[in-house]
Amino acid sequence: MDTVKFREMFLAEAAEHLELMAEILLQLDSDPEDQDGIDALFREAHSIKGMAATMEHVETARLAHHLEDRLDDCRQLGWISGGDIDWLLEAVDLLELLLDDIRNEQPERSVENLIASIPKEPVIEVSTTVEEKTADPAMTGEGVLIQLQLQETVIAPGPRFLILLKRLADFGTILESIPTMEALLQGEDPDHLLIRLDAEISQEQIYQQLQQYSEIREITFPVATAEEKPHKKKSPGKMVRVSTELLDHLINLTGELITNRYQMQNGVKEHNWQAVDDGVGQLARLVKNLHHQVLQVRMVSLESLAGRLSRTVHDLSRSSGKEIFFKVEGTEIELDRAIVEELTDPLIHMVRNAVDHGVERRGTVSVKAWRERDQVLIQVADDGRGIDPETIRHQALEKGLLSPAQAKSIRDYDLFQLICQPGFSTVEEISEISGRGVGMDVVKTAVERVGGILLIDSVPGEGARITLKVPLSLAIIRVLIVECAGTRMAMPIARVVQTVEVAPEEVQSSGKQLMIHYQDELLPMLSLRKILKTAKGSHLDPIPVVITEVQGRKIGLVVDQLVGQREVFVQRLPAPFDQVRGCSGGTILGDGQIIFLLDLQSLFERPRG
Amino acid sequence: MSKQEVELSKRVMIVDDALFMRTMLRDIFEVAGWQVVVEAETGAEAIEEYKIHQPDLVTMDIVMPEMGGIDALTKILREYPAARIVVCSALSQKDLILDAINVGAKDFIVKPFQNAQVLEVVNRVVAGCS
Repeated sequence: MDTVKFREMFLAEAAEHLELMAEILLQLDSDPEDQDGIDALFREAHSIKGMAATMEHVETARLAHHLEDRLDDCRQLGWISGGDIDWLLEAVDLLELLLDDIRNEQPERSVENLIASIPKEPVIEVSTTVEEKTADPAMTGEGVLIQLQLQETVIAPGPRFLILLKRLADFGTILESIPTMEALLQGEDPDHLLIRLDAEISQEQIYQQLQQYSEIREITFPVATAEEKPHKKKSPGKMVRVSTELLDHLINLTGELITNRYQMQNGVKEHNWQAVDDGVGQLARLVKNLHHQVLQVRMVSLESLAGRLSRTVHDLSRSSGKEIFFKVEGTEIELDRAIVEELTDPLIHMVRNAVDHGVERRGTVSVKAWRERDQVLIQVADDGRGIDPETIRHQALEKGLLSPAQAKSIRDYDLFQLICQPGFSTVEEISEISGRGVGMDVVKTAVERVGGILLIDSVPGEGARITLKVPLSLAIIRVLIVECAGTRMAMPIARVVQTVEVAPEEVQSSGKQLMIHYQDELLPMLSLRKILKTAKGSHLDPIPVVITEVQGRKIGLVVDQLVGQREVFVQRLPAPFDQVRGCSGGTILGDGQIIFLLDLQSLFERPRG
Repeated sequence: MSKQEVELSKRVMIVDDALFMRTMLRDIFEVAGWQVVVEAETGAEAIEEYKIHQPDLVTMDIVMPEMGGIDALTKILREYPAARIVVCSALSQKDLILDAINVGAKDFIVKPFQNAQVLEVVNRVVAGCS
């Protein structure tokens, strides 16, 4: 629906402004006399006010207006007080909630209480009153302003604009237009058309009608107060901004693909197999390039996330009285937006844990992101007391998660993984001792959902480091294809430690459990056939085994055959198939065969509820 | 228009002096499920045929021998003000396109035709003029 589209546009843009405001506010917190910062804040509030008023979101516009007023005072005063910053941060939070209301099509919540709580200082004589200022002439001007821009490919812009002008006349009275209808009839070919229309239908309906013209590149309803945004940032919402440069690349590639098609068609016609072969090679290069470019569209930097994290630290250090030095590195790293969305809450959680439980009175919390080939690593570290392996060992023994023998031999790395076990610890029990384990199972689940892994590392007294290792993009991943009971299935390569072939005589048994030696460890050997409850297979020699990790422990997974590795485009399964346990998506191979993505993790989980 | 007729495929008249252009347009329309009720080669023929068939849409070449498209367009609209006529022309005839719009053409198509573009324009015209 186009009305939704319109609202989405407003929501995405407003969210961007708010994010920027929060960021600037935090900068001002350390440099309250930064005039540019205050100016920028003022402009952001002003833009939000303008947009909200145009969309007739009264409460949002009202609050934004108060923000603008307050910031105008600060501007004149030349600095911003701590009280103001706190109030403004609260206001930004409330505006976010208001956007939620609008998104959920609920009535906007009241802003009265917050407005009433504006801090008293700074005292400054302001000559204008609230009412005078809301009467922004450009916003209440007669009629709707519509600006149209045509695609560059439109051959006859003048006549096209003439048709559009006539069409718009069907929706009301044209008060004025630049250029005028006469000028267009005289043969003028402008590059855009500006119309002031006394409309009989809503702005949204006009938008919908105009959308039927593919010749139009851009439809805007300018408000005279709207100004160029000072910062261009990627939106965290569902709207995607794509640079025209990138679009040009895509168009060029499409052009090359068309040439390629002709090349191959000709080759086929003339039975020139060499030409076809060259064409296929060319096609492979083009598709790879296209894939790369399209992926770019889905990429967002971690910058927006960094803003939220520093906000969390700011709030926590205020409420806890701890002195926290917060460091962020690598915010320019780009990741698939779906992954960033999935990781936002877990990261906030981890940072919160680090402040709450890691750092004692004062200390450093740092978030660092970097890239290693096609994976991104995000690390949250603190220099607090760290995690004590002895405490974990003790807890694990008590809970029966480890046998006394295991507790003795387990490495610290594996021991730390235990805190991600659901129910390993409760807040009361562990937060005072090690301070970890609070919701770490949730973090781990989220990371694994996007095909990543979580690593924990700590030295008592020197702090803890938790690292998330995630793929760059969700859509296209490298998989290992295996065969089991006549069916081929795929496992994300990120989850495969190694593939090995084991001779039957190397298999040992420990009680009922079969075990294999892998490096210097003894791993349980599980049969995929058994897990999938299919018929027993014949004896294999050698036995193909995939070394993988399930719930933080390495296992050897026996399959019928190791087929190979491949890059695949993974698609989510439509409902209700997305409920099938053990399967996290599907992909279609070049020969049309459908292959499902095996999700071992979920097969080992106990059914919920 | 009765309710029953709405269900039927849309009826179009093609006016062009060149057989090639008529054939090409016919092809575009028929593939898209339109019914080409009649073709006309001259402006005068177009006026006569419009009276008989009263199609949902007319595509009208502007430059034709004897009576040109703009004349025919004006005459048809004088008698049938609701007629939906889309003019076809080469880019070099921009002034003629402007004239045609001025006297009431609903839209225009520029030669050489692109199927998608033609269909977008005619569908829009048929849908838009209620």
